Amino acid sequence: MTPLLAIQNYTLDYATSAGPVRVLHDISLQIAPGEVLGLVGESGSGKSSLAWALMRHLPDNAREVAGSLRLGDIDLQRLGPKELTRIRGRRLGMVFQDPSTSLNPTLTIGTQITEALIQHRDLKPREADALAVDLLGHVDLHDPAAIMRRYPHEISGGEKQRVIIATAFGCRPDVILFDEPTTALDVISGARILELFARLRAETGVAALYISHDLALVTRVADRVAVLKHGRLVEQAPATEIFRAPRHADTRALVEAVPRPERRLVHDRPSGVVLLAASDIDVHYGNAGLFRKAAPPATKKIGLDVCAGEILGLVGESGSGKSSMARALTGLARFSGRITFDDRVIHGARDMNAAYRRDVQIVFQHPDSSLNPRHKVDQILSRPLKLYGGDAADIPRLLDQVRLPASYAGRWPHQLSGGEKQRVAIARAFAARPKLVICDEITAPLDVSVQAQIIELLLALRAETGTAFLFITHDLNLIRQIAHRIAVMRRGEVVDLLPVENFDMDHVHPYTRELMAASPVPVG
Amino acid sequence: MSLAWFARRLILTAYTIIVVSMLVFAITQILPADAAQSLLGENATPESLAALRSKLGLGDPTWLQYARWARHVFIGDFGISMRTSQPVGPEMLAALSRSLLLAVSSILVTLVVAVPLGVLAALRQGKLADTGVSLVAYFGVSLPEFVTATLLALLLADTLHWLPATGYVSPLEDFGSGILHLALPVLTVSVILIAHVMRMMRSEMLDVLKSDYIRAARLKGLPERTVLFRHALRNALLPVVTIIALDVGYLLGGVIVIEEIFAIPGIGRALMIAITTRDLPSIQAGALIMAATYALTNTLADLAYAVLDKRIRYD
Repeated sequence: MTPLLAIQNYTLDYATSAGPVRVLHDISLQIAPGEVLGLVGESGSGKSSLAWALMRHLPDNAREVAGSLRLGDIDLQRLGPKELTRIRGRRLGMVFQDPSTSLNPTLTIGTQITEALIQHRDLKPREADALAVDLLGHVDLHDPAAIMRRYPHEISGGEKQRVIIATAFGCRPDVILFDEPTTALDVISGARILELFARLRAETGVAALYISHDLALVTRVADRVAVLKHGRLVEQAPATEIFRAPRHADTRALVEAVPRPERRLVHDRPSGVVLLAASDIDVHYGNAGLFRKAAPPATKKIGLDVCAGEILGLVGESGSGKSSMARALTGLARFSGRITFDDRVIHGARDMNAAYRRDVQIVFQHPDSSLNPRHKVDQILSRPLKLYGGDAADIPRLLDQVRLPASYAGRWPHQLSGGEKQRVAIARAFAARPKLVICDEITAPLDVSVQAQIIELLLALRAETGTAFLFITHDLNLIRQIAHRIAVMRRGEVVDLLPVENFDMDHVHPYTRELMAASPVPVG
Repeated sequence: MSLAWFARRLILTAYTIIVVSMLVFAITQILPADAAQSLLGENATPESLAALRSKLGLGDPTWLQYARWARHVFIGDFGISMRTSQPVGPEMLAALSRSLLLAVSSILVTLVVAVPLGVLAALRQGKLADTGVSLVAYFGVSLPEFVTATLLALLLADTLHWLPATGYVSPLEDFGSGILHLALPVLTVSVILIAHVMRMMRSEMLDVLKSDYIRAARLKGLPERTVLFRHALRNALLPVVTIIALDVGYLLGGVIVIEEIFAIPGIGRALMIAITTRDLPSIQAGALIMAATYALTNTLADLAYAVLDKRIRYD
């Protein structure tokens, strides 16, 4: 069969002040009509560059050194601006990573879907309206006519992604590029988007290039999977085989990195001595004003306790109140209720003394915003060291503890990769020799393989120091690998608090079961 | 945007104006001027002064005087000018209308020139057009308005004799002559505003063009024209609305210089004259009318914002 999309010996450089940097080495890939090709790689592997090259949206410093990109008999590299508008959307659609930034905030959903239909399917506005309502209904949005009149901020992230998918499919392209379409969504919305993709694909027979850093996810949607590492194609295999029998070492590493609940990484049992007990924690943001009602509480009088040396998992979708709980426990949010820590009772953020603040540390989700960009690594680490009675001589030890070379002390945060930044943030938390470290979605912005390294590091630190962890995440498979007990939160309430062994049992809360169904184990 | 929000916003505006009226009244109380003395002149007898004072209620407690004044102001009666013996209200409103004409014309000229220039500079970022436009803009902001005014008057009135140098003719009475007389002041004010608005427009446009939704619009296959005008321009214009509302404040306060130079009997000039002649009712009326205009303009800007950007909900 002749390929629909053919990438032949494609080589791409980015011109930088330090000379050209090669991002894609001699890539050859083909997608047959109706086929879904998964493209897997870590961030920086060049998978997004390939997508931009296909969409002809490369940055100004990109240099296409060799090779060709063909869609059917069209040479994509030769297209001028006019011809491009007849290819983009109409023949080659795209679904983006972050639906919340991909829709124009000041235009209605209706405008944004119909403008593409009018452009590509030569419809009159009224016909486009009718078709758009159809399409939105077809991607399982309730009351499509009402959605048409709404603005992006009035619908959820999952709904936005459905709108973008409806737009892409509505123009009936030959191929659709999916660039990590579920990464920015919570587990349950992401799982539903995957179901939707499978259904639409079966109905329309569209070909697709599905890009992701998550090998397990890609094997569920793709026919064939190509693995990209440092800009080189290391393996191509049918999706059913690649997970079971990865041939290349880099593929094996990706397979290893995928969290699986049955592969426990923690084998000890915690002491049973309660380290921190929180009860009736009620977090409120904002006050009632003259003209304004107070916001509803982020957490509703919830309680949990962490034992010394324990890893307690806290899972739930975004907005469930997990981070508010973390902010209350570290005194970053005002709360009512009581916390007992080391036999001392605390009634609010003001009650937290220096000893408590030293013993309970937090690592945030985004190291980009939690590390001061104007401070070098040694400055970032020396603050907590001095505050808690250490000195700067400890910096090399701290860096070594998080497996970073001592020379990193002189670096700026922007010179580090995402995983390295998160290691610095972890080192900062451990500078105080804490008894409890709260990890607030610390691996969410990272690739699966980097996530695996960070988890390994945390477990090593725990073995060394005996620190307890409150590990907040939305990834149930990951937390089932490491936690002793898991609390499940929903809408500000703890619906389940179970030892990890009991998760497969029948008496779990329906919501917990839903979460588990949304995080299925990889095939193979 | 809901009706309730709109009502709340109006109440807040009214509240602002009431507080300002108290301040204005308090300040004029502190001024070393005696209304009775001013009215009767230097040669008034102590008896007639005392009689007038009690007739005007000047011996009453301050709050009572304020209440009396506020009640009159509420029905549009700002009192009688001590200088001209004419009602203050109509005089000040006429002055305000001239100032507003100058302000509104300047803003229109500014928008027509600055928005396209800013967009052009953003689209040709780093190229000749961008550098040229930015250079002119720097000139515009760095020259003080009296220098700009003098230079323009020298060139267009004295040398080329295209425009009258000073004076004001109402466009309602003589449209052609009115426009000609307005041209120089409008030009002067616009040069400064254009620089502001253009630079704002340029940087906002650059930001918006880098956003994900513009990329998404391009990759949907929309023509560049649609991407620019439907998707980018509208979002880039939002902060410009704020700048313009702030500039109205500058125009009302800062045009005194312009009105002086071009001899336009606007509100700034009227207030200047009132202050130099210690004409208390005129000072009160002028200050209050200016403050109220400013408050209303900002309310209008907020409204425009809420209409343009549906994410904004003031509740």
